[in-house]
Amino acid sequence: MNFWLLLVIEVVVMLLLVLTSSLVVIYAELKAGSHMQSRIGPYYAGGRWGWAQPLADGLKFLQKEDLSPTGADKTVYGFAPYVVLMSTLAIFVVIPLGPDLVAVDLDVGVYFVLAISSLSVLGILMAGWSSANKYSLMGGLRAAAQLIAYELPLVLAVVAVVVQAGTMSLNGIVEAQNDVWFSLGSFDVALPFVLRGQVLGFAIFMIAAVAELSRIPFDMPIAESELTMGYLTEYSGIRFTMFFLGEYASMVGLSAIAATLFLGGYGFPGVTGTWANILGPGILIGKIAVLVFLIIWIRWTWPRLREDQLQSMAWTWLIPLALLNIALIAGFKVVF
Amino acid sequence: MTDTPEAAVDASETTELEMTAAETYAASLTERLGATGYSEEFDTVRVFVERDAWVETIVAASEELPFFSWLSAIDWSKTTEVGEGVDEPETLEERFEVICRLSSVENADGAIFVATVPKDDASIGSLTPHFGGAEWHEREAHEMFDIAFEGNKNLVPLYLPDDFIGHPLLKSYPLIAREVKPWPGDVDVEPMPDVASDSQDAEGSDT
Amino acid sequence: MTSREMMHRSESAVSIELQTPDMTLNIGPQHPSTHGVLRLVAKVDGERIREVEPVIGYMHRGYEKLAEVRTYAQITALVNRIDWVSGFASEVPFILGVEKLMGVEAPERAQWIRLILSELARISSHLVFISSYPLELGATTPLMHSLREREYILELIEEVTGGRFHPNFNRVGGVKSAYGGGSTTKKQSMDLPAGFFKRTSEAMDRMDKICDDIDTLVTGNELIKMRTVGVGIIPPDKALEFGLSGPNLRASGVAYDLRKSDSYLTYDQVEFDVVSRPGGDCYDRYLVRLHEVRESVKIIRQAIDMIPSGPLQAKVPRVLKAPKGHVYSRAENPKGEFGYYIVSEGGKMPYRLKIRSTSFSNLTILPWILKGQLIPDLVAIMGSLDFVLGDVDR
Repeated sequence: MNFWLLLVIEVVVMLLLVLTSSLVVIYAELKAGSHMQSRIGPYYAGGRWGWAQPLADGLKFLQKEDLSPTGADKTVYGFAPYVVLMSTLAIFVVIPLGPDLVAVDLDVGVYFVLAISSLSVLGILMAGWSSANKYSLMGGLRAAAQLIAYELPLVLAVVAVVVQAGTMSLNGIVEAQNDVWFSLGSFDVALPFVLRGQVLGFAIFMIAAVAELSRIPFDMPIAESELTMGYLTEYSGIRFTMFFLGEYASMVGLSAIAATLFLGGYGFPGVTGTWANILGPGILIGKIAVLVFLIIWIRWTWPRLREDQLQSMAWTWLIPLALLNIALIAGFKVVF
Repeated sequence: MTDTPEAAVDASETTELEMTAAETYAASLTERLGATGYSEEFDTVRVFVERDAWVETIVAASEELPFFSWLSAIDWSKTTEVGEGVDEPETLEERFEVICRLSSVENADGAIFVATVPKDDASIGSLTPHFGGAEWHEREAHEMFDIAFEGNKNLVPLYLPDDFIGHPLLKSYPLIAREVKPWPGDVDVEPMPDVASDSQDAEGSDT
Repeated sequence: MTSREMMHRSESAVSIELQTPDMTLNIGPQHPSTHGVLRLVAKVDGERIREVEPVIGYMHRGYEKLAEVRTYAQITALVNRIDWVSGFASEVPFILGVEKLMGVEAPERAQWIRLILSELARISSHLVFISSYPLELGATTPLMHSLREREYILELIEEVTGGRFHPNFNRVGGVKSAYGGGSTTKKQSMDLPAGFFKRTSEAMDRMDKICDDIDTLVTGNELIKMRTVGVGIIPPDKALEFGLSGPNLRASGVAYDLRKSDSYLTYDQVEFDVVSRPGGDCYDRYLVRLHEVRESVKIIRQAIDMIPSGPLQAKVPRVLKAPKGHVYSRAENPKGEFGYYIVSEGGKMPYRLKIRSTSFSNLTILPWILKGQLIPDLVAIMGSLDFVLGDVDR
């Protein structure tokens, strides 16, 4: 009984957290993008600053007819958006918001995150394949190609973190970053990994994460000017909303992982014990916000790469660099 | 009017008796290409070419006039369904004129090459082997005038739907909208230079 | 089933498995990157285009036929609808041709006004390109910035002509003398609106600034260079053969600009450079247009200083009857050479009007240039040719 109650609470809290955060990110994208383009952006919905615009958009989408093409594989077509959203939601299960604030503290948290976040590409491939649309198919195939190219640097960048932290538990990784690195007299210095030689790894992780999110400059699976909307072309109504929410939720999810792995997660110098549990979520959200803003900023500034350019960038630059990164970190670890 | 440039004489009357620069150019170009004649009016040089020599002449001309500007045709017809007809229908010889303009990219030189094509055998050599850009122009001329361009393998309609019947730019092709509602017609020509006469009035009142 | 049929079937099954057949991809007529209703039937092998067949004509309005039943004055209203992004500029060659035919010459002030408005139209057209081209490559922000600046240009055009897109401002022998529509004999309403030159030079300062902004946002962007440098190279001989003109031709190293080589209006009195680049790729086509905005700004600044006062309209007969004759009149439009071949048989209407629209000729190169390209490059190349479907379909 207790278990089930806890499960329900956990699921509800998690869902609320994820969905609210993606609404907030959608709003942030609308506003930040507008201001970068010297526009005002949403202004009326909600009475002030258009804060309710994402909600209004969501409601509008829900009212739309749920269309599916005649030639579509209806089951797969209908199921695809949920695969994407599910894989995204599952990431949040292992992300520690504080020393004790974690839904499930898996020993192999990193492994779980990497495995489950790649599932979303399966959903995208399903969507592209089942839509019975050539543009969708090409979008889905591009997404699959992108996954193969970018999963490797992503994993390799994480491997370096695991080597440095000596654990695969996300909580353990955060604690490793909160541990005293060295002491200057009586002053203990605890630094996140990004300041402990992981700059390269962090950069590779972020590039790969943006590629996995299919956002500009790596939005070839959608590529509006080339493939109309790629794998999303045929989707409408609630299924489109699912994809949309999934995109923003996974933006938050991957930012949260990046913050946890490289930026010290919920940890902050001087915040320990119970305070870490109270302030932890806020600190983590702050770090996520910075990363999310970075991703939004990139999107509104840069154009799109070409698929083959992305592939050659991944195989000729990122993977060798990630391997070099592992070697350096491992050597560093052995020497000191 | 094929190779006797009556119009050219008219035009030169209005200027001087000696040849203008454009006319000199037209004459020398015609001689160099071995074309049958030329006309020059309003600085517009037209060089008349035999139908059989069409492709060779234009390819030869492109040595000095490399810019392929456009290709089209004119339907000279005694009767017209819509619009104003020719000046003297009795003396007119019914024919197509296939016209193609080449020009220089260094100066203002350029010429319109004209080949006469009889209506009962409306065909001429295609320029597509030499000018890639000619394909669309020839397709347009084909669908609009029903002129065959021998050697153009892709003479499918360009603008018109595949099942369209008729050749819209022929003078015998009626403009349905005009048939249904005769506007502006001959009567209702907008008194255009109203503003001009106003300004003349205004000037007049000042002086 | 006979054995022959069976053999045939098995063979086809094998061939499908071994060599993937080309897929026919219909791009358009409703597609985000075709600027309207252009349709490309592409045979693709994965992302690579084997062959592409453009299908045009969705917007064919038959202007050449319509012109045969309209008087010369009425045709001006038609021709600025050919290329609506630079409506004024497509009026100019037509009206110059008619004036040549009738032996009328517009007063000098009218010529200068035409020049200023043509250059404003050029800036406006190029700004549309500068805004939409990065968008095709996926960058959304330059769009807003340069469209915002274009609004200042459109406002200037509007306050003089009364129309943002379709000015219909040229008259045979001059320009419309009263702004705001309707004829009035009040002297002050017979000229450009008060303060027009001041606002124009302010707008020109803005144009300089937006060019610098675009330089930092787009020109120097590594990703833009990755997508455009060396992509879609058009050698000069091919460009001439396909009749490419304007910035597309100048980007291939042929410095062909009618404003210089066959000067019209008062272009011979202003100083400007013909922008040309040697590369012939998409990046050069983009750069040529960006630099042409700067040159146009230069031209307009000089024109503001040099414009004389005087009447706007020459004396012309009440009913315009052209003499018999042929005239070909052309001008350097924002997109290239725009020409009208007018055949007059001595009436109020032309016997035949051939419209040499720029985008039509610029697009004839598509099947050649797109062969063997990737689909993302198709978008980059097509965008770099800067066409307007109204100008293609006439």
